Amino acid sequence: MRTALVLAFATAAVLLLTSLARWPSHDIPRAHVAAEPSLPRIAPAPEFTLTSQDGAPVRLADFRGKVVAVTFIFTMCTSTCPVLTPMMSFVQDQLGRDFGEKIVFMSITVDPERDTLPVLKDYARAFGANPVGWFFLTGEAHAIRDVTRRYGVFAAKTESGDVDHTFLTSIIDPRGILRVQYLGARFDSEEFRRDLLSLVNEP
Amino acid sequence: MRSTHSRRRFLATLSSAAVGGLVGTRSRSLAQEGPSETTAIKLARSPSICLAPQYIAGELLRAEGFTDIRYVPADGGIGQSAGLASGEIDLTLHFAAPLIIPIDRGDRITIVGGAHVGCFELIANERVHGIRDLKGKAVGAQSLGASTYIFLSTMAAHVGLDPIKDINWVTTSTVRPSDLFIEGKIDAFLSFPPEPQQLRARKIGHVVVNSSIDRPWSQYFCCLLAGNRDFVAKHPIATKRVLRAILKATDFCAGDAAAAARRMVDGGFTDSYDAALQMLNEVPYNKWRVYDPDDTLRFYALRLREAGMIKSSPGKILADGTDWRFLNELKRELKG
Repeated sequence: MRTALVLAFATAAVLLLTSLARWPSHDIPRAHVAAEPSLPRIAPAPEFTLTSQDGAPVRLADFRGKVVAVTFIFTMCTSTCPVLTPMMSFVQDQLGRDFGEKIVFMSITVDPERDTLPVLKDYARAFGANPVGWFFLTGEAHAIRDVTRRYGVFAAKTESGDVDHTFLTSIIDPRGILRVQYLGARFDSEEFRRDLLSLVNEP
Repeated sequence: MRSTHSRRRFLATLSSAAVGGLVGTRSRSLAQEGPSETTAIKLARSPSICLAPQYIAGELLRAEGFTDIRYVPADGGIGQSAGLASGEIDLTLHFAAPLIIPIDRGDRITIVGGAHVGCFELIANERVHGIRDLKGKAVGAQSLGASTYIFLSTMAAHVGLDPIKDINWVTTSTVRPSDLFIEGKIDAFLSFPPEPQQLRARKIGHVVVNSSIDRPWSQYFCCLLAGNRDFVAKHPIATKRVLRAILKATDFCAGDAAAAARRMVDGGFTDSYDAALQMLNEVPYNKWRVYDPDDTLRFYALRLREAGMIKSSPGKILADGTDWRFLNELKRELKG
């Protein structure tokens, strides 16, 4: 049942990506990126250490020098997560060589009880996540609660076992400063990509 | 129960509810935001459930560092504005018109951002099919300081009626206008959630104006976040954090109405999940980034002047009673 659901989401993702595949891959004009006004500097990004889908510890501080996008999902989500993860997958592909080398994604589960490491690994594979630069993270429930709270995300289990949560994707610059947050899951993927690249190119 | 009211009595009502004050100074820049200046926050709890973002923002406020979050009972009208001006309430979502009236009088209120559009619906019987039809009709309002009275007066003035002379206002503090309407004792009243949803469920009355849909009202914010001017000046980071939490909650209302309705019921802000869900699906909670609170205040200031409820120009209201720094910064920091 779970595999079928994930496959269904992945199929939907492929359809979405196909419909969105209108940009040339990777190299957007850097001059255009440089012309954008610089992103605000909100505050130092909250630190965390969690566990990746491969069982490896992932510490945000170890990614200094790279641009990091941190978002919150759960794999059984049937409403908005199936929109957000494919969109990030699409942007991943558009980033080309920069992905992994200069830009990484971290999707943190808000449902650590059900999102075990094998489940996260299946989910990552279903959405075409490149393991070089996209980490699906979990941890002890209290650690997840702490990270969600410090990033300003609301998440609460419902009686049905699902999770009500706000969607918030945060972009952190190579110096570990939180620069911008995207609300919801239907934000502009092109703007998101431009913001990521603007920080790669920032002096 | 039935009473006739004069403009003088209306202004006297405002006077008794209002607290005078001086124009405050703008506080420092918020660049490189630090910790909040306070961990305590007092918000209003009004009879209207359209303040949903404020009611479900608890966890988001805690995430912003607030540990003492209180909801102060308020009337949803001029009394709520008076609570803001006096400092009984620190910050709250509130309808634009009853915020402008005390600002016109010099009360210490600062509006910091817009949240959502349209909460109000003019419900009427078969004798009323347009706003002009209100002439000579019995129209209910909880009080002369109620948002519904103020709003409907501006609507009436906008179509050329004199809201004082042309409408037979029926006010009572003991019976709700919706109950008077159900009993057939009034022809119309301006309702706010959950009243329209409850009446629709019972197939009572019809909608003459829906401020979520009908122009010009639908083109402007209904509720904005306003603060006590001293609180805002002394606690700029806290103010920004409250606005951020409420904007996130507003987005949550737009994105997951069912979950938001559950949170309202669980939080004890309503006992009707169905009415809350219907309201959350009807009220546009996805406009805070699109609509301009400056335009909203200009529009309502002009309407209130038409209705004889304020004397100040829109420019003076904006100069005295707004601070958009917080919203402008958050628009850059919170994309979507």
